[in-house]
This record gives sequence, structure tokens and C-alpha cells, in this order.
Amino acid sequence: MKFCYEIKGGDFSAGGSASSQVKKTLKQFNIAPQVLRRIAVALYEAEMNVVAHAWRGSMCVDINIDHLNVVIEDEGPGIEDIERAMEEGFSTATEEVRQMGFGAGMGLPNIRKNSDEMKLTSTPGIGTRLALTIRF
Amino acid sequence: MREKNYTHSIQIDRDKCIGCSHCMRVCTTQAIRIIEGCAVIQPERCVDCGECYRVCPQHAIYAMDDGLASLAADHYRVALVPSVFLGQFPSDYSATEVLEAVKNCGFDEVREVEQAVDFMKEAYRIRAGKQLPRPQISSYCPAVVRLIQVLYPSLTSHIMLLKAPHDISALYLRLYREREEFDSRKLSLYYITPCAAKTVAARAPVGESASLIDGTVNMKEIYNKTLATLLARKEKGGRKHVADMSPDSVCWSLSGTEKHYFPGRSLAIDGMENVIDFLEKLESGHVSDIDFLEMRACDQGCAGGILCPGNRFLTVERLEQRQKRLQQLKDQQEGRVENRLLEYSEMLHPLSGVEPVHPRDGLLLDEDMEKALVKLQRIRRLMSYFPGFDCGACGAPSCRSLAEDIVQGKASISHCVFVQRVMEKNYKLSPDQAFVVIEKIWGRGRLNKYNDANENES
Ligand code: SF4
Ligand code: SF4
Repeated sequence: MKFCYEIKGGDFSAGGSASSQVKKTLKQFNIAPQVLRRIAVALYEAEMNVVAHAWRGSMCVDINIDHLNVVIEDEGPGIEDIERAMEEGFSTATEEVRQMGFGAGMGLPNIRKNSDEMKLTSTPGIGTRLALTIRF
Repeated sequence: MREKNYTHSIQIDRDKCIGCSHCMRVCTTQAIRIIEGCAVIQPERCVDCGECYRVCPQHAIYAMDDGLASLAADHYRVALVPSVFLGQFPSDYSATEVLEAVKNCGFDEVREVEQAVDFMKEAYRIRAGKQLPRPQISSYCPAVVRLIQVLYPSLTSHIMLLKAPHDISALYLRLYREREEFDSRKLSLYYITPCAAKTVAARAPVGESASLIDGTVNMKEIYNKTLATLLARKEKGGRKHVADMSPDSVCWSLSGTEKHYFPGRSLAIDGMENVIDFLEKLESGHVSDIDFLEMRACDQGCAGGILCPGNRFLTVERLEQRQKRLQQLKDQQEGRVENRLLEYSEMLHPLSGVEPVHPRDGLLLDEDMEKALVKLQRIRRLMSYFPGFDCGACGAPSCRSLAEDIVQGKASISHCVFVQRVMEKNYKLSPDQAFVVIEKIWGRGRLNKYNDANENES
């Protein structure tokens, strides 16, 4: 079953509401607590990446019997060098964003750590698409 | 002794309840529904935090305890009194005096629970040195523990697996009595409780098969009796001459003392809403680098407990005064405290843990993933019919919870007054049927006055 949520770029105060909604729904299923935690963390990181870097985006989750598919798409500057972006500690976040505690470069590696499959594609100047699969 | 097998202390008196729905609106886990004009609690969701108790205008909600009457007459009866109870009385009554008066209520011995806090401090230090999930969340407040079990299942592994101070006190008393060859079967330990959650923790402890406490007594009941004794007394009672515990131990149940004893970074959070807000963040990983979380369901910690008769702010101030007095005694003893309980530390440490805490399934739609998905699909469809402003006229706290009740077979779509109107318009529901539905939710007789009004008006 599929749900989609809008994500607003730059709105840090509202950031996290989409992943929080998904989390709430998933708690109604018989999913192991550790898996739930991984989902919560991965989705929050992914959502905050959009808030911190893009103008706008969306999060679509598809709940299946034994796994969850998530697609986070945004319109924004995109990622120049995906390989580097996946390195721990690498971040293009502006100083302002970092001072708020976001963009420490833990986002993408952390998402990868918490999901079973991850696919990142990006077109500089247009936007980024992140697809995740997490098995229950 | 009364039935031991209830898992909730919070109960609703059907004779007093008028079905006003105040409680339903404040319930933090959405556990309350109005059925036939009366509030009904869903046991799998209730965490006994007592938020409903605070708002009920009819005083129809009560906290079930074991009561003084349950005291076994031929047993040696010990009352475990939390410091917050002493804080209910003006500071000119000494702790010794108050405890003496408590004893008069029918106990053979009285003990202050917070004696165990010096032991807790050691236990925290030990746990801080271990590789445990961070942050460790204090297990002190049982309402918070239950809340995590119901709403934050993925955080149950963070709960510190340590007994509460009153359990440590109970353990100590048993060990100490055993050493004196006292028949432990004849020993009954009663905890004077500031809240419903502590009663539940004693009846159905989390992470333990049985509690060390034999019964709980509502603090209000003991307060009234104690105050009567104090007022009738002609002479002033005695005072402590030795500091038998660390001064700040008396503030352990309030907000902000406990956290100082877990090395590293820690936070103290009190009040149900604040606790929920923070756990939500923690669960998503917003919060990092925190080693310890002290959490209390009540504002100001246990001073705000629902069974505390006094003003919570006065209570806090009085406990601070007590802390100062104990500090003076401690200074006179050149900084030593003579806490007898600590002599049992070595024996207590291996017994102080509890089993892992598991989630509760209060939110679950269905064990079976496939069935749960079908139910969720239905919930979504139902939600598109409902107005979405959570008016509560259906007897459920939100449109979402009505939808959930419907898929669980506990309610029907005609409970929604908006859907009802549409159904009537389309001749799917007769006005008489609609009337029956409303009666089912808000109670028979509730609509009578409108009949009368109709006649009088016309
Ligand atoms: S607050 Fe709840 S228990 Fe109290 S009268 Fe209203 S509906 Fe009944
Ligand atoms: S803060 Fe204290 S009084 Fe309030 S629920 Fe928790 S343990 Fe009970």
C-alpha cells in the first residue's frame, strides 16, 4: 500500500513530519522493534537531506508484506559526485545548516547502514532520487 | 487480600461517570472511548499515567490500591514511605514525627524508601561503565516505562534494567530480617503510593515475575489519617540526630536529581507531553550523544503524582528544606552518612536487575501482516469519509481512532454524525436507527431532555 508525503525544503522546524507519519503507521504492524528503529532513522535522515539541500521533495512509501520500499525525490541542486557523497564525513551543507546540527555528512552513509538496499541517482541542477528497501 | 490479578490501577466508576469525554480527549495513548454514556478504558493501551484522573470533573476516575484493609492482621507490617509523602506536610513537622504518625495507621514499622537511593547511585555508576544502548532511559517512573512499551516499542531496549528504589528497600528489609531469622512469610511490605502507575508496577511488574511489595496504599488515605494524628498530638515529636542517607536522596523522585548520578551527558524531562515529544525525537535519531534520560510522567516528578494531596510546588520546596537539614546533620558527622542499607550492597547488586522489557501490542492492527495491510487499506478509505476534525461525537478521540475501531469490529461507520446525516439523506438509515446509534454512544436517556425541550418550545 502506497502513501506519499510532501517535503518542504528549508523548513527545519517542520522537518521530520513525513517520516514521523510513516513511523506511526508502521507501529500498527507486527514489525520487529529493531527493524522499526532502522526505518525511523533512515527515513528521518532522508527527509532531512531534502529539507537541508533541496527546494522541495516528496517521500513515497510502499508497504508490502515483508518489506518496505521508499522513494524520496527532490528538486534541487543535485549531487555532483555520488561516490564522494557516500563517504562518511563528506557534506556539502552550508555552514548555517551545519550549525543547526544537520549536514554533518552522516546522512547518506547512515541511511545505507539502516536499509537493505539503496539506490541513489542525481542530476546536478535538477534533483535527486533515493530509493530504499528495508525488509521486515 | 483482594484480587491480585488486575493489571491496571486506573478505574472508572460507572455510577459517577456522566460520559462528558474530558478524559477521552486528554488520554495520551487514545485508550478511552465513550460507550453507552460511560467512559471505557482499553486495557492494552492504558499506561496508568493518570492524565484522565486529573481532568475528570465528576471524580469518577479512581486509582485502585490494595488499601489498609488488606493488611494481614497477624503479619509484621512494614510501610515503605516515599520522601514525597513527607513533603505533603508543613516543614515544622519533622520527618520522624510524620513517620511515627504513619505507623499509627496500622503498621509495625515504617521505612523511608529513599534510603535505597544511595545504593541506586552506585548501581548507576556500574551501569554507566557497561556497554549498554545509549541513552539509558531511567526505569524509575512506571508510567514512562509503559508508555515506551505501548508507543515507542523500538526504545524498550534502552530502558535501564534496574529495580526501583522501593523494590531495593523491600529487598533490603527482607534480607535484613532473614539475617535475624525472622520468618519472611510473616513479613508484609506496603508501599504508600503517589500514583496509579506505582501500584501497577507493584501488581504486575515489568521485567519481573513477582513484586517484592505485598500491597500498595493510596497516599491520600494515609495522608488523612496521618494528619489527624499529627493534629491531635499535644507534644512535638522527635527529630533525626544522624544523617542516615545522602541529603539529595530525598529529591530523587522529583525532576532533576537522578540524572546527576549517571556519568556523561544527561537530561531530565518531566510531564507526559514533554516526555512524548522527546521520545518521538529520540526514536528517529534526532538526538545523539546523550547517555542518560531521566523521565517523569508528572510535572515536577512525583510531587505532581495524582494521589499527592498537596501542592506540587510546595512539596518540592519542602523536600529541598529537608535536604538542607540532612546536609547539616551530615556536616556534623564530618560528611559521613550512616546508611545501614549500604552494608547490604554486595548482596543487593546481583539482585537489583530486572529482565528485558518487551513492547506491548496496544497499537497493533493485526498480528498477521497481510490482514493488517487489508485493515490499513480500509482505514484509509474510511478516513476519506470522515470530516477529519476529531469532534469526538462518535465516542472516539479522533476520526482515525474511529476508523481503527471500525476495522477492529468495535464500532460502525454510522457512529460518525456526519456520515449519519448523509446516510439518512440517502435513505440508508432511518432517523430511528440514527437515534439508536447516538443512544449507544452517549447513553439511554441522554436525549430525553431534547424531547421535552421540543414540546416546550412548540
Ligand atoms: S471525564 Fe471521563 S470518567 Fe469523568 S465523567 Fe467525563 S467521561 Fe466520565
Ligand atoms: S512521575 Fe512519579 S508520581 Fe508521576 S507517574 Fe511517574 S512515578 Fe508516578
